[in-house]
Amino acid sequence: MKAHLACARMEFRVALTYRSSYLSTFVMMLLQIYLLTVVWSAFYDGREEMDGIPLATMTAYATLSTLQYTLVNPWRSSPIEQRVREGKVAVDLLRPIGFPGQMLSGQVGWVSASVPVLLVALPFALLIGAGSAPASVAAGFAYPLALLGALLVSQLLGLLLGMVAFWTLEVSGALMAYRFVAQFFSGALVPLWFMPGPVRAAAQWLPFQATAYTPAAIYLGQAEGTGILAALGVQCAWVVVLGALAALVWSRARQRVLSQGG
Amino acid sequence: MPVIEVADLVKEFRRPKQQHGSFAAVRTLLTREYTVKRAVDGVSFRIEPGEMVGYLGPNGAGKSTTIKMLTGILVPTSGTVQVAGTTPWRDRARNARQIGVVFGQRSQLWWDLPLRESLWLIGRLYDVPADRFAQKQKQFAELLDLGPFLDTPVRQLSLGQRMRGDLAAAMLYDPSILYLDEPTVGLDVVAKERIRTFVGRLNRESGTTVVLTTHDLDDVEELCDRIVLIDHGKVAYDGDVDELKARYAPHRELVVQTDHLEGVEGAEVVRREEGKVWLRFDPSVTPPAELVAAVLARHRVTDLSIVEPELESVIHRIYADRR
Repeated sequence: MKAHLACARMEFRVALTYRSSYLSTFVMMLLQIYLLTVVWSAFYDGREEMDGIPLATMTAYATLSTLQYTLVNPWRSSPIEQRVREGKVAVDLLRPIGFPGQMLSGQVGWVSASVPVLLVALPFALLIGAGSAPASVAAGFAYPLALLGALLVSQLLGLLLGMVAFWTLEVSGALMAYRFVAQFFSGALVPLWFMPGPVRAAAQWLPFQATAYTPAAIYLGQAEGTGILAALGVQCAWVVVLGALAALVWSRARQRVLSQGG
Repeated sequence: MPVIEVADLVKEFRRPKQQHGSFAAVRTLLTREYTVKRAVDGVSFRIEPGEMVGYLGPNGAGKSTTIKMLTGILVPTSGTVQVAGTTPWRDRARNARQIGVVFGQRSQLWWDLPLRESLWLIGRLYDVPADRFAQKQKQFAELLDLGPFLDTPVRQLSLGQRMRGDLAAAMLYDPSILYLDEPTVGLDVVAKERIRTFVGRLNRESGTTVVLTTHDLDDVEELCDRIVLIDHGKVAYDGDVDELKARYAPHRELVVQTDHLEGVEGAEVVRREEGKVWLRFDPSVTPPAELVAAVLARHRVTDLSIVEPELESVIHRIYADRR
């Protein structure tokens, strides 16, 4: 555990050395919140609510999901590709702790580097967008859990994608496609409740909604009571499924490393 | 009890067979035919604790592949390896704690962060207690003169500084075995010397077992008593450095500075230049002392010296003989 925390701290420090991307994340995030707020206000066109969703809830959703997305899905979705390309995997394999554990904890450290940005951005975001308090006490308590779930699902997906590099060496093309699909189906741009039937059904069956929509919906009271438990349950199920899949892929990838050399 | 025991080690690499002709690239991608290359072909050796062994061979001889199997990165096709009681690729975590590894070509340090941070992480990864860590860091900072660049990001270090950092990182948790894979490649004379001094000292003071691959035979002459020479994946020689020289280069040369010298019994004149004469002799037939006495008895000599054969020329001859 101590070793994993140390890995996380290292990557946290590394992320802080990338100052320009750090700042651009901040600017992009504010811009996205602003644009989404403008678009949704125009879309509502003076109406109080649409399909039972008040405008205030909608803009709060846009703000929240953008903030979350920045935190949970950093621009570096996994360090693996780079380490494979630079041949650093050989060094990682010499460490006394497992490779996926090193990568995951490093990535958690990397992600946590954006917490300070979020704290600075929050007042601005509230100013240009619209914020709101959690819908209920239960929502307030469930939200951090859902956010943790979102982080785990997102990072396990990143780990799986990163491990593809062991076969292809190059994943940046696939990564672009993945980013688009993942962001759309996560509900970070358009909430699931406004998606047309079949698209919504697809989003519900994909893991991506657990990375953005789930925590935001819980916070805003779109999932209530047993609905909160069900949403958290779905996240847990994805963590288990993706975790098992990652273990399986890693066992195959390791054979590949072992036969080809780092 | 040997600390490293390698028996009949074989490593084959399978690559899709390269196709030729039209759509060659696509056909190579889809092919089920493979070519098999034996990089390591039945290598066996034992290394006792505290030995410093040079593991030598020309490019592509299988040196790095062997090191990767010894460190647990690669699984052999067949054969066994025991490193201090563990099979490296099966018990990777346990093996990791007893070995230090330095790759000259790739660093284990964090590129974007100061060297100090990398050392800190390694201390954590290998559970080095805080007081022990402080002591080690201080010791290495002195021995390797890390002080001036401990707080510099690794990407800004010179190659020599980076190698010193890597050596400190590899030895921070007191492993009993150190693998050095071309540690002096690309370094200047001063930097090379510093690394050799450090490794020699580790071996003398802590009894660290060292396995060294290198193309710089000065590394070997200065550090190793024993060499394992491999070529085409097989062991070509395993033994003393001195014995190797005696076997492949039995002659020595006596260089005499004199105005006139025709010849001496038991030696052969091989070269004359600017008042110097090179005499070649076999020390087992003509003892050097006798030869020197014979020369001094008959000639006016201003200077003389005995030249040992260089390892490099010895190894050249071995490779040449095998081709």
